[in-house]
Amino acid sequence: MKTPSPTWSPSTALTSSSTAVGTTTLIPLFWSPSPGPTTPPPFYLRNVYHFKFLLKRALTWVAPTVDAVLLSHSDTLHLGALPYAMKKLGLSAPVFATEPVYRLGLLTMYDQYLSRKQVSEFDLFTLDDIDSAFQNITRLTYSQNYHISGKGEGIVIAPHVAGHLLGGTVWKITKDGEDVIYAVDFNHRKERHLNGTVLESFVRPAVLITDAYNALNNQPSRRQRDQEFLDAIMKTLRADGNVLLPVDTAGRVLELILILEQFWEQHKLAYPIFFLTYVSSSTIDYVKSFLEWMSDSIAKSFEHTRDNAFLLRHVKLLINKSDLESVPDGPKVVLASMGSLEAGFSHDIFVEWVSDTKNLILFSERGQFGTLARMLQADPPPKAVKVTMSKRVPLVGEELAAYEEEQNRIKKEEALKASLIKEEESKASLRTELPVNDQMVLDANNTHSSSNAIGQRSEAFRDVLIDGFLPPSTSVAPMFPFYDCSSEWDDFGEVINPDDYVTKDVNMDQMLMPVDGDLAGKLDEGSVSLILDTTPSKVVSTELTVQVKCSLIYMDFEGRSDGRSIKSILAHVAPLKLVLVHGSAEATEHLKQHCLQHVCPHVYAPQIEETIDVTSDLCAYKVQLSEKLMSNVLFKKLGEYEIAWIDAEVGKTENGMLSLLPLSSPAPPHKTVLVGDIKMADFKQFLASKGVQVEFAGGALRCGEYVTLRKVGDASQKGGSAAIQQIILEGPLTEEYYKIREYLYSQFYAP
Amino acid sequence: MASTGQSLTSLKKREAATANNRDGDQLIITPLGAGNEVGRSCVYMSYKGKTVLFDCGIHPAYSGMAALPYFDEIDPSTIDVLLITHFHLDHAASLPYFLEKTTFKGRVFMTHATKAIYKLLLSDYVKVSKVSVEDMLFTEQDINNSMERIEVIDFHQTLEVNGIRFWCYTAGHVLGAAMFMVDIAGVRVLYTGDYSREEDRHLRAAELPQFSPDICIIESTYGVQLHQPRHIREKRFTDAIHSTVSQGGRVLIPAFALGRAQELLLILEEYWSNHRELENVPIYYASPLAKRCMAVYQTYINSMNERIRSQYANSNPFEFKHISPLKSIENFNDVGPSVVMASPGSLQSGLSRQLFDRWCSDKKNACVIPGYVIEGTPAKTIINEPKEVTLTNGLTAPLNMQVHYISFSAHADYAQTSTFLKELMPPNIILVHGEANEMGRLKQKLVSLFADRNTKIITPKNCQSVEMYFTSEKMAKTIGKLAEKVPEVGETVSGLLVKKGFTYQIMAPDDLRVFSQLSTANVTQRITVPYSGAFAVIKHRLKQIYESVESSTDEESGVPTLRVHGQVTVKQESENHISLHWTADPISDMVSDSIVALVLNANREMSKVVVESEPVGSEEEDARKAEKIVHALLVSLFGDVKFGENGKLVISVDGNIAHLDKQSGDVESENEGLKERVRMAFQRIRSAVKPIPLSA
Repeated sequence: MKTPSPTWSPSTALTSSSTAVGTTTLIPLFWSPSPGPTTPPPFYLRNVYHFKFLLKRALTWVAPTVDAVLLSHSDTLHLGALPYAMKKLGLSAPVFATEPVYRLGLLTMYDQYLSRKQVSEFDLFTLDDIDSAFQNITRLTYSQNYHISGKGEGIVIAPHVAGHLLGGTVWKITKDGEDVIYAVDFNHRKERHLNGTVLESFVRPAVLITDAYNALNNQPSRRQRDQEFLDAIMKTLRADGNVLLPVDTAGRVLELILILEQFWEQHKLAYPIFFLTYVSSSTIDYVKSFLEWMSDSIAKSFEHTRDNAFLLRHVKLLINKSDLESVPDGPKVVLASMGSLEAGFSHDIFVEWVSDTKNLILFSERGQFGTLARMLQADPPPKAVKVTMSKRVPLVGEELAAYEEEQNRIKKEEALKASLIKEEESKASLRTELPVNDQMVLDANNTHSSSNAIGQRSEAFRDVLIDGFLPPSTSVAPMFPFYDCSSEWDDFGEVINPDDYVTKDVNMDQMLMPVDGDLAGKLDEGSVSLILDTTPSKVVSTELTVQVKCSLIYMDFEGRSDGRSIKSILAHVAPLKLVLVHGSAEATEHLKQHCLQHVCPHVYAPQIEETIDVTSDLCAYKVQLSEKLMSNVLFKKLGEYEIAWIDAEVGKTENGMLSLLPLSSPAPPHKTVLVGDIKMADFKQFLASKGVQVEFAGGALRCGEYVTLRKVGDASQKGGSAAIQQIILEGPLTEEYYKIREYLYSQFYAP
Repeated sequence: MASTGQSLTSLKKREAATANNRDGDQLIITPLGAGNEVGRSCVYMSYKGKTVLFDCGIHPAYSGMAALPYFDEIDPSTIDVLLITHFHLDHAASLPYFLEKTTFKGRVFMTHATKAIYKLLLSDYVKVSKVSVEDMLFTEQDINNSMERIEVIDFHQTLEVNGIRFWCYTAGHVLGAAMFMVDIAGVRVLYTGDYSREEDRHLRAAELPQFSPDICIIESTYGVQLHQPRHIREKRFTDAIHSTVSQGGRVLIPAFALGRAQELLLILEEYWSNHRELENVPIYYASPLAKRCMAVYQTYINSMNERIRSQYANSNPFEFKHISPLKSIENFNDVGPSVVMASPGSLQSGLSRQLFDRWCSDKKNACVIPGYVIEGTPAKTIINEPKEVTLTNGLTAPLNMQVHYISFSAHADYAQTSTFLKELMPPNIILVHGEANEMGRLKQKLVSLFADRNTKIITPKNCQSVEMYFTSEKMAKTIGKLAEKVPEVGETVSGLLVKKGFTYQIMAPDDLRVFSQLSTANVTQRITVPYSGAFAVIKHRLKQIYESVESSTDEESGVPTLRVHGQVTVKQESENHISLHWTADPISDMVSDSIVALVLNANREMSKVVVESEPVGSEEEDARKAEKIVHALLVSLFGDVKFGENGKLVISVDGNIAHLDKQSGDVESENEGLKERVRMAFQRIRSAVKPIPLSA
């Protein structure tokens, strides 16, 4: 047992930055307790939000001071800025996420990058930046208590089920028994592939940070919504039209896939369904292995029949658009990323399909502000929209020559610089190992693959392939990788491996197969070709206006709790302080007012870059309960609690801890407290069981002939000031009065 | 936390001894199976009234009830949590029995992969053992029912049941194998189950827990033995197989269908794809069960190591090119060399035994035993390479086939165990799951290894309890208003001590609703008492009794009120009633009771003054009462006293009769002596009972 500092008063500062529309990364940060037990260790927590790739200002000043990054969901809104922040803003804090958020987040970022790269000179970060940003993420499972060591000693973080997306997380940050809950985008409803959030199981956290995004929304029942969804799709298909569902890469799309898959299975439909993203097959492969993160029903069906729900029979996975073009004409359903229609396959398909009245474009999530999707979701929808068609074309002629010259120059410079550095290094230390390129260094850091010699070898091999046998730019001189082939000898000489003499055609893809550890190795072939494709190219854009003739429908498949449920959940959780982020001004204000009245008196809705202080005024210190004291304490059990009144004298143990000892003098009198929660209906039953005539009359309970029992003030309103139940017992002086009073007392514990 | 003492006693004895000390700091650990043996793992643990059972296996060498752990030593209904480490029969197979046939009503946890395989494995077990065992422990229906009750836990996920906190670590033994850490009131117990610290082709090595436990219950299967390095074992394995098949022999690998078999298949698959000359030698795995479990292996790749996970990204490593399934011996076309992996691993029955019987007398053939074999099984017998073996049909046959024993079983060896314990540094080590001899040797070695650390190493037998005492330091956190100032030594702290699970908090009553889900209540009482006298009388009387009586007037009705002791308000409601108004607490209740009594008293005294006619009635009553007393006294003096005529009393003593006139006091009697005695007595009684007349 460590000696805790006698006082601690955590102060919590919270910053958020963004327009009220889009949010991305959550960065709660802690500053470690300042040294010395007497100064109160501050406990700061910061959230930084920013809109997709438009992040600029806010993170810059805050990034280097961040102590930990907790990722809650795998979509770009929640982790899209991570590579940029890591690379450009000097964010170097440890990152925590659940396994699905890590995997699917990585795939989402790949998809995002590849989609953007196709249509623009995207230079905020590269695939390598994504890899390195994700490389050191610490993966946690739900309800895993992770004790932060070092700087944030004493802080425990734990991810909990959030619903919304696979692996989605409500973070609970605990220090000294005080909880801070970060819950944005949760869903209390159970869905096909996800369980509902466990947010309601947290009670009275010190601070709850949640969003007001859906505060004004109300949802139809799931059954009704699913039916309308399928009806709309079927109507279009039967009328020989195509259906485009702009979706995210690996989040809500899973629910849509399951709905379609089940419906197609039930009705034995033959219309083809395609899931088209740069990473679709990897996505589904990984999702198949995340069953333990999904709903109980999916887990159960697997346990009983070993039937993996994501073994898709009807949905075909495509990773490039040419595959879709080779599909024979006819009605079909295509789920394509990105949901914003700004880039990606959905953008291209949209342009092709938008002017045909037979087609349907079905949005399953609200478009973010300023996107094409948002424009189309307006009511009434626009008659025509301007779109930019961009294409990446290889450089030719002069441009190519100029490019090559530039590249050569850069290469030379780098080589010169590198050789200088290398020389210095080799002088400093007589290292015999091969100079490795940057990528290798990164991999060596990866603890998993570093022990795997085979993995590293093929790593080097792959680099050679990728670089087209160019020497790594950092190496001193071009050289081929050297493999130490240990040969075995038996009685007849060197053992011959017949395989060595079999002629086989070198298959590039197969040689790439054993690439372990490296995340890029897990990309789909199509994407690999894109990475390998180092042909100099540029983006050519043309702007054109398309007539919007197809049907446009928006249905809420966002998987977020609606306004009513949010309110009831908040009332149940009853935080001491509530912080609202991410939501339109209107929704935030609405929820704020509601919560001020019904949840708790401290509600904050910080503006962008506004720092608010939600310092807990909670004081606490630790004491030891001595055996002598405890042997005289009689606990009374109340639900899951046991309580007792103690009067004790403070003493000190040998190791300087405060301890409580029994009083030497008689205990002073204290004000009586009645502990317990009385429900009128329950008490009525209790009295009836004791043979007292009871009935409700005019809001009061009439017991026997004359005695009435009334409850004033609403106990359900926990956060409010009227939290102490007021019970009034009235009656004339009779024996009955005293009897009923005794029964009433028996419902309480008065220590 | 420190253990202050320990002892070994029988469980029965302990119950009697500790009946009076139930809530004590005594921690009891009793192996109900796997104590000085391998098989039927089941360890009982109890501390502070919380009870945990680890594993629930059967002993493969026995059948029927004899294979069960000693469940009758405990009361299953008292167990709070049952934790299953992995799906092997000796760790999980008595679970359906325990769930369905005993009074157990606690909760059961295992990992996702374990649960998925558990069902398949036990259904198979039921089917296989149907032919050999009559007294089945449970049916397929029991297994299905048990599936409903089993809950899942993910690695590192922390759960809390009844104040028992527990979570699990990767154990590396088979897919989904877990080591459980249980935390009851701050005392931590680690149960390793079967574990391996060596990473193999598909599994991760067992993790080293972040916290050191107070007690470590650890397996000791391999005792002080050391494993050969993995690549040497693999080479021996493949060499033995290669040389046998290349000489035209057949290779039998009796292996348990799940767990290690998958590792062997991965090795064979790789070897075959590297050796083209073996292409024509078929490999069979004769286990429909293993085939069914493949889906599970393909799904829970996240429980496996990085190697498999990265392979998985490209192709499924569990889809074999060179290995084909074999349904039964009838479908087996036994021509030429082949490799057959068949279950069960210990050759008691089933396909592996059938093939063994068929192949054992040919010296070209080989049998490779790839795992730990349990004492008393045929596999154990043939390891010692006897000259002859008894076949299933009762005949004896020469054992000519070569027998190789190459252990791939993922149990820790001495090197792993000792490093694991050195890093973990538990103050108490309990060895289970090992043959008595191996365990004894391991104990000796560990004792000398930890000689300088005062580590206790215990090897209890089945049903032998280990008792330890943990003087648990109870820590409480004072929070809220009460903690605004840290008290100095000698000051007094008064407040509510709130206990939830094993955490204590001290707080002011007002803070109760803030820091817990409990709420407090105020009960306001109003009682009306009939009183028609002057209010001033009450005030006067109250002032005589109580120090503080403040009078004022009610704001609404303007009637006079009195506040007694600052707690109870007395108010004149109407001419005939006054009301008392107070907030309930013991003192106020007492005060109000005394006020009620006072008011009632005042009422009575007043009525005496008001009603004048009362004395008449009372005189008559007095006379009647007096008469009664007189009669009673006379009876006590003379015995037989009867009422006679004219209100006279007839007293008879020894046949003499006296007549007494109560009004005048005259006595008539034939016996003078009696007459005189009665007269005297009556006079005295009368003077005592009736007031002396003033005239006299």
